[in-house]
Amino acid sequence: MIWLGWRQQRTEAVITAALVALLAAVLVPTGLHLASFYDHDAVARCINHKSPACAQTLSDFGSHAGILRSLMPWFTLLPGLIGVALAAPIILDLENGTFRLAWTQSITRGRWIATRFSLAVATSLAAGGLIAILFTWYRTPLDKVYGRFDGSSGFDVEGIVPLAYVLFALAVALAVGVAWRRTAPAVITAFLAYVAARLFVDGWLRQRFEKPLTATWPVQAHGPNLDSAWVLSSGLSDRAGHPFHGGFGALQSCARTGTKGINGLDPRCLARHGAGYNHAVYQPASRFWDFQGIETALFAGVALALLAFAAWWLQRRTA
Amino acid sequence: MSAVLDTHGLGKRYGSFWALQDCNLEISAGSVTALVGPNGAGKTTLLHLAVGLSEPSAGEVSVLGRSPQRDPAGVLPRVGFVAQDHPLYRGFTVAETLRLGRELNPSWNADAARARIDALGLPLRKKVGALSGGQRAQVALTLALAKQPELLLLDEPVASLDPLARREFLQSVMEAVAETGMTVILSSHLIADLERVCDHLVILAGGRTQLAEPIEEIIAAHRLLTGPRDEAARLADSHQVVRESHTERQTTLLVRANGHVYDAHWELHELDLEEIVLAYLGRGASLEREPVPS
Repeated sequence: MIWLGWRQQRTEAVITAALVALLAAVLVPTGLHLASFYDHDAVARCINHKSPACAQTLSDFGSHAGILRSLMPWFTLLPGLIGVALAAPIILDLENGTFRLAWTQSITRGRWIATRFSLAVATSLAAGGLIAILFTWYRTPLDKVYGRFDGSSGFDVEGIVPLAYVLFALAVALAVGVAWRRTAPAVITAFLAYVAARLFVDGWLRQRFEKPLTATWPVQAHGPNLDSAWVLSSGLSDRAGHPFHGGFGALQSCARTGTKGINGLDPRCLARHGAGYNHAVYQPASRFWDFQGIETALFAGVALALLAFAAWWLQRRTA
Repeated sequence: MSAVLDTHGLGKRYGSFWALQDCNLEISAGSVTALVGPNGAGKTTLLHLAVGLSEPSAGEVSVLGRSPQRDPAGVLPRVGFVAQDHPLYRGFTVAETLRLGRELNPSWNADAARARIDALGLPLRKKVGALSGGQRAQVALTLALAKQPELLLLDEPVASLDPLARREFLQSVMEAVAETGMTVILSSHLIADLERVCDHLVILAGGRTQLAEPIEEIIAAHRLLTGPRDEAARLADSHQVVRESHTERQTTLLVRANGHVYDAHWELHELDLEEIVLAYLGRGASLEREPVPS
């Protein structure tokens, strides 16, 4: 049965391997380049260092990492693609009626379900694991400079969540597919559901996993180092942290004009307008693994429930 | 224990529609049974119940003395099944299809399977999807036969085949029966296909069993009678009327005779099996007919 299960998902496994290989082909050369830039330009020494020379170095590093780093959110579609692709051969078996061939040999339906599901899950996890390893390696210098959250776009591709994402996409596609028995619409629906679930968690839910920290400090002071934290919001505020809602005019009235035009704002004037402080709401970098654990449990938990549903449906409802 | 397939009050409901209802059958060992009925009569439903693909909504089914639902591991290895349209993995080669059979069946007879494929002249490396319909049907049959089943179930095996492929397929089935003595149930919506092959007949129509008997007895018992219209009622007292048609003075009755018909008023005709089957199917067609979910 293992041979048959493998033979049936061979095409999809090859597609998966090709996608991962493509990712490696992009990430490995650029990652090596990024790492050597990081080492040669001594970016490490400039982290938490505010000298103008270091600001320049970090800015160069940023533009170097540039395009791929800004494309990072797109890569989070990859686990979804792989997951639904690996569900396809099982749904195809139902659509084509070939499951009646497999289920009327000498093995029981339960064993068929267990084998096919296990192979699909194992392949998903292998793909998710490789994606996570590739990205975690690629992002090593980025993580040092921008933190592992990196405005949330680093979080999606590192650690253990990619495994849960692939598993989730697979499970959604299987759950929809066993009930619908139409491969193309089931796979497309599942992929859209994957994107919707990810957007919801990325954009709304994740920042609420734990109550964010806040910091308020006078505009003329340095304040806490939030370079590697996930900053949810920041801006001018009063001493109590109430955000400044005044207009540009109020700020303009506080401008200190010099010979070359405006060269700063008067802190006391700002304070009078309720804008004498900076206020930031953020998740500290130290919560990275907490958040990874919560998000993995969330997606993997839903995935397991959906897999159980799909297995039950096949066992009980399919003829 | 001589019944290979045994059903009692067997029924299957899809929503509010009964695809099969109150089905009582005893198929004895070594028989070759034609399961005949129009599309949607419940043939596929009955075969799926027998092979454990679906669960009964009412009654019981037992195959070789066991329940296909509760004891699939006890039934499946002893039953060969070819589903409608002979589903096979089209991306597999013929060799891979045989390997599938070997991997999934402990009682697989690899030599026999190989010999059949060679005799059919099918290249092992060819993709199943590239074979003709008749060849695919033969591969599907090979898969079912190499399992060395005691009971072979074939769902509309020749419906999609051209006349030559039909004959070759049924020839293969007959050869296998002669060799092994296994029990066979074939379904079809046409009896003409199966008459040469089968010794028993089950007619399903409107989800119900209309007739289930040895073909010889069926032919011996049924007569076409033509006689005066006013005598028809008296005749119906002693014989079972399957179908009747009237002209002004004359009546034509297709009856299942209870013993001999000795009556000078009536002219007797023998019937062939197809005419008898059509009469029963016509009777079943007056019941509601709906397609079975595939």
